[in-house]
Amino acid sequence: MSGSGRRILAIARKSMGQFRHDRRTLGFVVGMPLLMVLVFGYTFGGEVHNVRTLVVNNDTGPLASYLLENITGDTLDLVSVTDVDAARADIVAGHAWALLAFPANFTSRLAGRNSTFIDVSLDGSSPPIVSAVLGKLRAAMEKSFAAGGRTTLSLNLDYVYGSPDTRFIDSFAPGVVALAVLMVTTVFSVIVLVREKSGGTLERLFATPLRPVELVVGHAFALALLALLQSTVVLAAALLLFQIQVVGNLGLAFGLLLLFAIGNQGLGMMLSAVARNELQAVQTIPLILFPSILLTGVFFPLEAIPGGLRVFSYLVPLTYASDGLRSIMLRGWGVGEIWVDLVVLLIYSALALLGAAVFVRRQA
Amino acid sequence: MPAGPAAKGSAIACRGLSKSFGKIEALHDLTLTVPSGVTFGLLGPNGAGKTTSLRLWLGLTAPTAGKAKVLGESIPPRAVLPRIGYMPQDLAIYLDLTVEENLACFGRLVGMDENAIDRRTAEVLKLVDIAERREDMASTLSGGMRRRTSLAAALLHDPDLLLLDEPTVGVDPELRAAFWTFFRELTGRGKTVVITTHYMEEAAKCDLVGLLHQGRLLARDTPVAVKEKTGAPNLDDAFLTLVRGRREAST
Repeated sequence: MSGSGRRILAIARKSMGQFRHDRRTLGFVVGMPLLMVLVFGYTFGGEVHNVRTLVVNNDTGPLASYLLENITGDTLDLVSVTDVDAARADIVAGHAWALLAFPANFTSRLAGRNSTFIDVSLDGSSPPIVSAVLGKLRAAMEKSFAAGGRTTLSLNLDYVYGSPDTRFIDSFAPGVVALAVLMVTTVFSVIVLVREKSGGTLERLFATPLRPVELVVGHAFALALLALLQSTVVLAAALLLFQIQVVGNLGLAFGLLLLFAIGNQGLGMMLSAVARNELQAVQTIPLILFPSILLTGVFFPLEAIPGGLRVFSYLVPLTYASDGLRSIMLRGWGVGEIWVDLVVLLIYSALALLGAAVFVRRQA
Repeated sequence: MPAGPAAKGSAIACRGLSKSFGKIEALHDLTLTVPSGVTFGLLGPNGAGKTTSLRLWLGLTAPTAGKAKVLGESIPPRAVLPRIGYMPQDLAIYLDLTVEENLACFGRLVGMDENAIDRRTAEVLKLVDIAERREDMASTLSGGMRRRTSLAAALLHDPDLLLLDEPTVGVDPELRAAFWTFFRELTGRGKTVVITTHYMEEAAKCDLVGLLHQGRLLARDTPVAVKEKTGAPNLDDAFLTLVRGRREAST
């Protein structure tokens, strides 16, 4: 073998040796792609499932029931209720996506070839859900009544939130804004403590009266300012370039993003404190980003995630950030309505910062 | 024993201090007193336990056994940390900050106000001879200059106890001499300076030395007394004689 070949092999052997000593990296190399394939495969089916749809059937005849029987599959989760006002309030509160209300004379009007309608109330903040509801309903109408001719039946649409003009981009923009904040805060915070460690400054800092929790909160504070700047840029771009619909309070949106950012920094720093070197720290970034992108309803509704995996969706903080932000921007909700999201993010931030402080203390 | 006029009590007193990392015993049963107002040289080759001793005294790591008091405070000595200046062996400065920003950061952490930081920054940077680089990024400094910045950060708050881990490595002889003059001036004011080093000729300048080998204290006395007791012409030979003596005793 030539001298050059030997030298190349020497470098390759050295490099492989380094990987061999770093078991965590090795595990990551094998485990991460496997996880990606599995999660992608299960979540990118694209179909939504079990969309909670309330039905008020006042029809005195059989045709409304016949139509409902023709809504097949598990796309819609039809729930019979009796009170239209209560059902509509459920949509306002975000407990259901749609309401189908059939008038008392539904059968007699249809049988007499007179025009009639179904009252459809919709939460239009998620266009994929709207398409699923209307698609299923129209298919059932076609199958039930229109074989061989025009039907006299029409849909009377009422958008509780959003409008027929709500675009797909409107529905995923809030989630993307939150995702962008997640990316930057994670990337920075995952590096920050491991850098302190490798530079020897962590030890130097702890030779002063600085407490671990002060170190963590101090870093989080600085990074939160960066996150705020970034949120402004992302939100401004979404509003100005893509004319994203915003009906709610932007201040609240900022507050929620900031809370989310602080939690991410805590999580990032926790991982940073555990990592032995920069490489290990950086590897954890996709570990956070990946489930966040796929499981949280940023690009498609949670209803499109299979039931088994959806449990994990509720464990990923971006789910709450994205839901809260979407509710503020598209539904115009305030603190009273998104308090669950806020409380979860508050707990997340507190636990993450505390966890980071504990892990940093162990390193010292 | 040469001690400054302000020397009262001991800056450091430890009894039976031990530290193990798994099966490795980095420090074994260290019983030692460092009086206030002296320069104390902790000598020994790499791995002797010098840095471990400093880290234990600072509370950066917990002892496996034993006790210690630093400036009268049991370890970890949180309450007296603002009175201690520490210069670690690693440079431990932020390369992505300027020299003065580095100093300001550590000054604030020990509770100095901005005016004091500004005034003391000028003083200590002059002392370590990098005053003209005050506003430069630390990343643009040479290795020796980074070390001086780290020393300046340790000196900034005029601490009562200085713990310096190999402070003169990579420092040219002229500046090293200036450091020693300054250390003398500090002890004259009643401050205590603890220096770890593996340069024996440097240790000869200390008021007192402690010789460490494989985590055990072989001797603690004035450099002259150590030489006399071992009959060695210099500290290098004295150290070797003590190591040999210990080996023979253990076999």
